[in-house]
Amino acid sequence: MHSDSVRFEFEERRLDNGLRVILHEDRSTPVVAVHVMYHVGSKNERRGRTGFAHLFEHLLFQGSGHIPKGEHFRLIQRAGGTLNGSTWFDRTNYFEVLPSNELDLALWLESDRMGFFEESITQEKLDNQRGVVKNERRQSYENRPYGLAFETLLEHAFPDGHPYRHPTIGYMSDLDAASLEDVHEFFRDYYAPNNGVLVLAGDFETDRAMERVEAYFGEFPSREVPPPPRVERVGDERGERRAVITDAVQVPRVYMLFHGPSFNDPAFETSDVLTSLLAEGKSSRLYRELVYERQLAGEVQCFTWPLESVGMVIVVATARPGVDAERLEEAVNAVLEPVRESGVTDEELEGARNRARRSLIRRLNSVGDRADAFADAAVLRDDPAYVNHAFERYETVARPDVADVAGAVLRSTRRTVLHVVPEESGAEGRAA
Amino acid sequence: MNRARGSRTPSGSTLDRSTPPEAGELRPLTLPELARIELGSGLRLLVAEDHQLPEVSMRLVLEAGATCEPSGLEGAAEITGRLLTEGADGRDAREVATWLDRLGAGFSVSAGYDVTILSLHLLRDVLDGALDFLAAVVRRPSFEEAEVERVLGERLDEIDRDLDRPEVLADHALIGALYARHRYGIPAAGTRDTVEALGRPAVADFHARHFGPRGATLVVCGDVEAGALLEAVETRFGDWSGGEGRVPVVPLDTAATVPGAVVLVDRPASAQAEIRLGAVGASYSDAAFFELLVGNAILGGLFNSRVNMNLREERGWTYGARTAFHFRRAAGPFVGQTAVETGVAAEALSEFVRETAGLLAEPPLPEEMELARNSLVLSLPRQFETASQVSSKLATQAVYDLPEEYWETYRQRVEGVSADGVLEAMRAHLDPAEMAYIVVGDGQELETPLAERFGRVEMRSTPTRP
Repeated sequence: MHSDSVRFEFEERRLDNGLRVILHEDRSTPVVAVHVMYHVGSKNERRGRTGFAHLFEHLLFQGSGHIPKGEHFRLIQRAGGTLNGSTWFDRTNYFEVLPSNELDLALWLESDRMGFFEESITQEKLDNQRGVVKNERRQSYENRPYGLAFETLLEHAFPDGHPYRHPTIGYMSDLDAASLEDVHEFFRDYYAPNNGVLVLAGDFETDRAMERVEAYFGEFPSREVPPPPRVERVGDERGERRAVITDAVQVPRVYMLFHGPSFNDPAFETSDVLTSLLAEGKSSRLYRELVYERQLAGEVQCFTWPLESVGMVIVVATARPGVDAERLEEAVNAVLEPVRESGVTDEELEGARNRARRSLIRRLNSVGDRADAFADAAVLRDDPAYVNHAFERYETVARPDVADVAGAVLRSTRRTVLHVVPEESGAEGRAA
Repeated sequence: MNRARGSRTPSGSTLDRSTPPEAGELRPLTLPELARIELGSGLRLLVAEDHQLPEVSMRLVLEAGATCEPSGLEGAAEITGRLLTEGADGRDAREVATWLDRLGAGFSVSAGYDVTILSLHLLRDVLDGALDFLAAVVRRPSFEEAEVERVLGERLDEIDRDLDRPEVLADHALIGALYARHRYGIPAAGTRDTVEALGRPAVADFHARHFGPRGATLVVCGDVEAGALLEAVETRFGDWSGGEGRVPVVPLDTAATVPGAVVLVDRPASAQAEIRLGAVGASYSDAAFFELLVGNAILGGLFNSRVNMNLREERGWTYGARTAFHFRRAAGPFVGQTAVETGVAAEALSEFVRETAGLLAEPPLPEEMELARNSLVLSLPRQFETASQVSSKLATQAVYDLPEEYWETYRQRVEGVSADGVLEAMRAHLDPAEMAYIVVGDGQELETPLAERFGRVEMRSTPTRP
């Protein structure tokens, strides 16, 4: 049935200063994506400076040696482009997608902040973006229903000092503490050419584009980068962790975090397929049982996060009115238990594989998507060719693999369970 | 700052970093070639072939929007849309779910004010199966009593859960203030009262009257061959009939009901204040459509817009501030929105109003005009990259009767917009004295500062679950 092979050609090169360059030429639309990913994220933050990697990302849009504040956005938008950045546990990225005749503009902007950032940063810019980020935390976490659930879940799932224990947005007091000295130190430590990957995807000629890359990025010296943080595997000895918080919500929600395979683990795709057939689509086990049959939940999700050094498999179920968190949790357990014991059916697996295949293609639709995928594969897996190999990896997930992963991951003896309950039901106060 | 610009290039290199590099020659965008076919039933078929990836994006646009609903039964379109996949063609809800999930296709229904759009995204190798699926759920949904009741119950719970979300409270308060006697004043998916009034008869009736080929358009983009596709569509939809077609656009009572006070929705202990300001905006067919696009980009449509630069990049009060005209068949709302820390909410709203008034006082600056026009026209290539983007653009064209050459002439139309034209259009549509202002947040902290700046404040409590 699946005779189509989808493949995205690319070339990989490296500048003398260690900058890894991936070029995916596709001339079908006059658009180019320029994507720089640095191998630094919230897991590299030191104690007392949570949220710093993300705050730093904001600062990188505040101009650099040759680019005044506000100009980065203005120049890209004036060229018809779009741009953004994002920060996660493992990496920080910056990207532009713009008409291909403006490739040099994006290279000029990205290289300027790689090479000439420090001389332009000021206390005023730091304070301005600190205000923006604190309001991002208020808007997207504190003032949003269930918005503090994930950080609470992480705090209980990982031991004190673990690099994955805190959220990328960071805590307010740590955002307040960030200083200009921290900014300089973080830049020198992590924003070295040899700690980054530059991906070009779209309408260009590879050799000619590589010349421009060399011209813009070649002069920056490589620097020593601090070793990656030591990430301890969370073992069985941690057992089951439980927490209850209250929030300004109408109905309870149950969160479960299982320690699963990391993005680099050979079992990653199997775990992704497993979580898809548990909660993706209305024929999935959790939806059918909790939402459709027993009508205990209004919605249910389950997913595997693609993380570099740990694995997180997360279940989220929102109660219908009148259903308490304990009852909902029991119902979730009742769905997971048989999967853990005896795996899944061929029909479920076929559907999950079909959806995975479509979703892989959907996530590689545009040149921006592809640049993103190549950067992730290069930084998190050290293997840009994974973008193409992923198809086969998902295609060959077999029933016994799913049973093995389900058996190893979905265990109540090594998980974190969080109940978020409405305020009037009287747990120990809002977490904010 | 003391530095020599452009002087640090190592010797031997000719790179000048002091000014932005010159752009190369712009490669023109080739718009997708379209096949337009009208079937005997009245269904229009629009096909754009694109064979780069083995995927297909389909959108079925139906004259079944919220504006077709009988008064008192608002939300019928949304519920009808949700029930399509809860049993069809002799299969029960579970069987339909399994059918779709095994195809691996993504199916969604969006019931807007003007139309209902069914979207189906799939891989080429399941095209026939996906068309079977689409025909079954659109033409022969079962609407079993038990499923109708279950879906209505789920929807009511969702309405209750939405009360937790300040942005939803703000949006609903705003449209309520702007459109007291028009369908646009009620959320497209209805309210608790109107959804409670729905049942199997209302849903079956809505489907019978509005889910038909009359006025409908099926857009198919991606890895298909137009001739074979037409045959496949004929087989499944050739004998489809019915649908009332387009209902006339209900004009707006423009002497709308602006409250003349800041509406403060009290949400105690909120971490932020959610702010809206708004007016009855413009329709898609407005003569000044392109002037409003450009004007909005300058005021709040772009990152470098006046409100975002002020409230975010200068003051650091918010994660973002923006504005938009929601163009519809009739005049949809103009909405300005931001969320700020509570202590500066009144001042932030004042600044938002001041920036809006500023754009009504004198024409935008030449560099603002250039930025706005360029961002609109030069972004076209990246808006036509994927099958899903193209199908979405074609669907929009069908909904708003945009001329066939709309995208070919888009650039010229935007470039024809002058600064004076923007000023005139914005003045004709916006007047700060006539706008509605909404703040959702901690009433105790917000009431006094808002009253000091804006005079009358109408405090409301957060709606609660019955």
